[in-house]
Amino acid sequence: MSNPYVPLFILLALGFGFAALSVGTSLVVGPKRYNRAKAEAYECGIQPSPRAEGGGRVPIKYFLTAMLFIIFDIESIFLFPFAVAFDQLGLFALVEMVLFIITVFVAYAYVWKRGGLEWD
Amino acid sequence: MSNAPGTGEAVLFWILGPLAVLGSLGLIFAKKAVHAALGMALTMIILGIFYIAQDAHFLGVIQVFVYTGAVMMLFLFVLMLVGVDSSDGLLETLKGQRLATAVLVLGLGGLLTAALGSVTYPEPAGVKSINEETGNVSAMAELIFGRYVWVFEVTSALLITAALGAMVLAHRERLGKGRNQRDWSKRRVLRGEYVAGLPAPGVYARHNAVDTPALLPDGTPTPLSVSRVLTARDQVTTPERYVEAEDRIAGQIEEDSSR
Amino acid sequence: MSALLTVAHGIPALLAEGKDNPSADFSDTPLWITVIKALFIFVYLLVSTLIVIWFERRVIGRMQQRPGPNRNGPFGLLQSLADGMKSMLKEDVRPKAADALVFTIAPLITATMCFIAFAIMPMGGEVNLFGHRTPLQLTDTPVAVLLVLAIAGVGIYGIVLAGWSSGSTYPLLGGLRASAQMISYEIAMGLSLVAVFLYSGSMSTSQIIGAQKNLWFIVPAFFSFFVYVITMTGETNRLPFDLAEGEGEIVGGYFTEYSGMRFAMFFLGEYINMFTVAALATTMFLGGPLAPPGIAAINDGMFNEGWWGLLWFTIKLWLFMFMFVWLRGSLPRVRYDQFMKFGWKFLIPATLVWVVLVAFFRGAQNGWLGEGGVNFFGRTFPVASLALVGVVAVGALIVGWWWDSRAAAKEAAAADAPQSSIDPFAGGHPVPPLPGQTLAEPTRTAAAIRSEAVTDKEAIRG
Repeated sequence: MSNPYVPLFILLALGFGFAALSVGTSLVVGPKRYNRAKAEAYECGIQPSPRAEGGGRVPIKYFLTAMLFIIFDIESIFLFPFAVAFDQLGLFALVEMVLFIITVFVAYAYVWKRGGLEWD
Repeated sequence: MSNAPGTGEAVLFWILGPLAVLGSLGLIFAKKAVHAALGMALTMIILGIFYIAQDAHFLGVIQVFVYTGAVMMLFLFVLMLVGVDSSDGLLETLKGQRLATAVLVLGLGGLLTAALGSVTYPEPAGVKSINEETGNVSAMAELIFGRYVWVFEVTSALLITAALGAMVLAHRERLGKGRNQRDWSKRRVLRGEYVAGLPAPGVYARHNAVDTPALLPDGTPTPLSVSRVLTARDQVTTPERYVEAEDRIAGQIEEDSSR
Repeated sequence: MSALLTVAHGIPALLAEGKDNPSADFSDTPLWITVIKALFIFVYLLVSTLIVIWFERRVIGRMQQRPGPNRNGPFGLLQSLADGMKSMLKEDVRPKAADALVFTIAPLITATMCFIAFAIMPMGGEVNLFGHRTPLQLTDTPVAVLLVLAIAGVGIYGIVLAGWSSGSTYPLLGGLRASAQMISYEIAMGLSLVAVFLYSGSMSTSQIIGAQKNLWFIVPAFFSFFVYVITMTGETNRLPFDLAEGEGEIVGGYFTEYSGMRFAMFFLGEYINMFTVAALATTMFLGGPLAPPGIAAINDGMFNEGWWGLLWFTIKLWLFMFMFVWLRGSLPRVRYDQFMKFGWKFLIPATLVWVVLVAFFRGAQNGWLGEGGVNFFGRTFPVASLALVGVVAVGALIVGWWWDSRAAAKEAAAADAPQSSIDPFAGGHPVPPLPGQTLAEPTRTAAAIRSEAVTDKEAIRG
């Protein structure tokens, strides 16, 4: 087998084929009975609430969580090769990594202390 | 070592390359901001596949790993900053902005062409042989924690800056502590009112919805059972219809049983 | 901790050449065999899904003292198949406000992506397949485990996009919750795997299995296993973390507006994702296709070879499935703020500390922190490891003492300090509290003062 990624594409094709086929079949086989109420958004039986201008926004505090996610994502990405090559890298890399983790932890501690992790 | 791509790689490129271009065009031209974000996700994933096709396993997977997460964040920022159904307004708000953009784009294009045109490539080290000898991830680690230690450590400073920036932009400190579930429940018990919570909205034989108030034992509807949001929106209905229907059914049942 | 030390030495030192490439040998695997294996995985997953849905309903039924589905086929085994056929014949409704393109591709993304990750799971040893010697694993790469995480990251798009494209309130909330859940628990999941990479020295699944020949990683990386199991429940939206589809709060969450086969695709995706995360847990911590200790020793490791692996792999997978069902049968859904708090304030920092600890132990084992060892029960422990254990124990004691004394001080302060609280709006303007004063949350809003008689509903509802 030449490329180890070819099998992934085979599985991808199988999965997509299955999904598309079953959804397509159900579109053909299934009944179609139009009803105006059916096409409304579902809101537990009440009249659908009017949407806000522009669709409404999500609170901005979510931004902080998203940003922290990216920060830790990057940290974990450095940790992966570090862990894999740990035995070859030696003590120096361990010290480097501890320094790095501590530095990022400072940011984390700051956000925690200021109440950025409270979810209310 | 030859640099010519194999047939498999060529086929892959000619299929996915145009798709990536389509994705990036979508990023620029899509009307809805979410569609633009999706176009970007597509392009990034395809770039990841390209890296993998060129034997840069770690880089390719990381590309997909990071950018799917990052574009997801972008998607959320769209929802947060612009709105759920936002689409581009074509109104020009800054005067002369388009002209300036055109000039700058041309300038950048010229600069890039000049710079990239004069690049001379050194003999490639050959990712394949490195993958065989040291292993892709280990070789990467040796570079990050060896030659580029300084850059790596500085990255942490960058991350701190990002966290601070997010705090400054998005964090709003509360003046006091808000009441939590426990406090509300304590308060309820102390006051001795509605200790078991408010009544649920009406459930009738032929109807069940949150906009219909429940009935008290004496038959009058209780406004407490309907969400105050619905009250403010004037969406509350009266239960009379359902009560009548219920009475009718009850009457029929009685008739049937006495027959 | 000393148990950790004992076992850490059971792990063989890695190949010194620094190879992180897969150890599985695919050289005798032509493309057509790969296709057959891919088909096998596909069918394996579909059949497992059909069975697990029935299994879940039966087991939960038993836990709740009712029979569960028992009509279609023996023991009701064909119930899930009948349900699938039924959803095929249902009407496919699309809401008026939906974004047609995204609404259509969202379920396809979920249903497609869930299959791929299984390709790198080692399901058995090397077997003879139509005259070729090939491992019971579709493929392996130097970054196989990361690949699973990356594919999961693409798969989550199906859920979030479904929520957004429905053009309805509940699905949007469900999609947002799903994305917050993903970002909060994916980090802890990735970090928990780092400890395993430290022990195995590779991200390829075949190498990770090879490194567990003597000792499964659940023992030296027990905390990672604990964190992984929690995060995998969170990542698959299963109870007690099924906030994205909490039916008591937001109807069905992201798939509220979906019906028929498109809904079935989300259903399929959720269950196959359960198998994927469980298979990854099996591979990373439970030795994948390796026979359980004891059985593995019989007849020179006979049960570790060939097709036997498939049996052990499947058994371990189904243990996780049972755990999923058990959790669902016994735990209520957590509250949203509790969920976020647990992820950000406990899982992430604790896992980071754990990773650093494991790295130091590994370093001590490599002799970087000084030579010299102590003999215990015929095994040699580096002095540095023992010193580390001591440092950790003392640190834990100090933190515990500090914590206790702080809690006691807080209690004492709360008991005798007279509460002087000010109403920040007493004079009409908001005023910050002086030192020693605490702030009273304004209880009466302008509206409440205006209509004194009207009950404050939020207060009562809680």
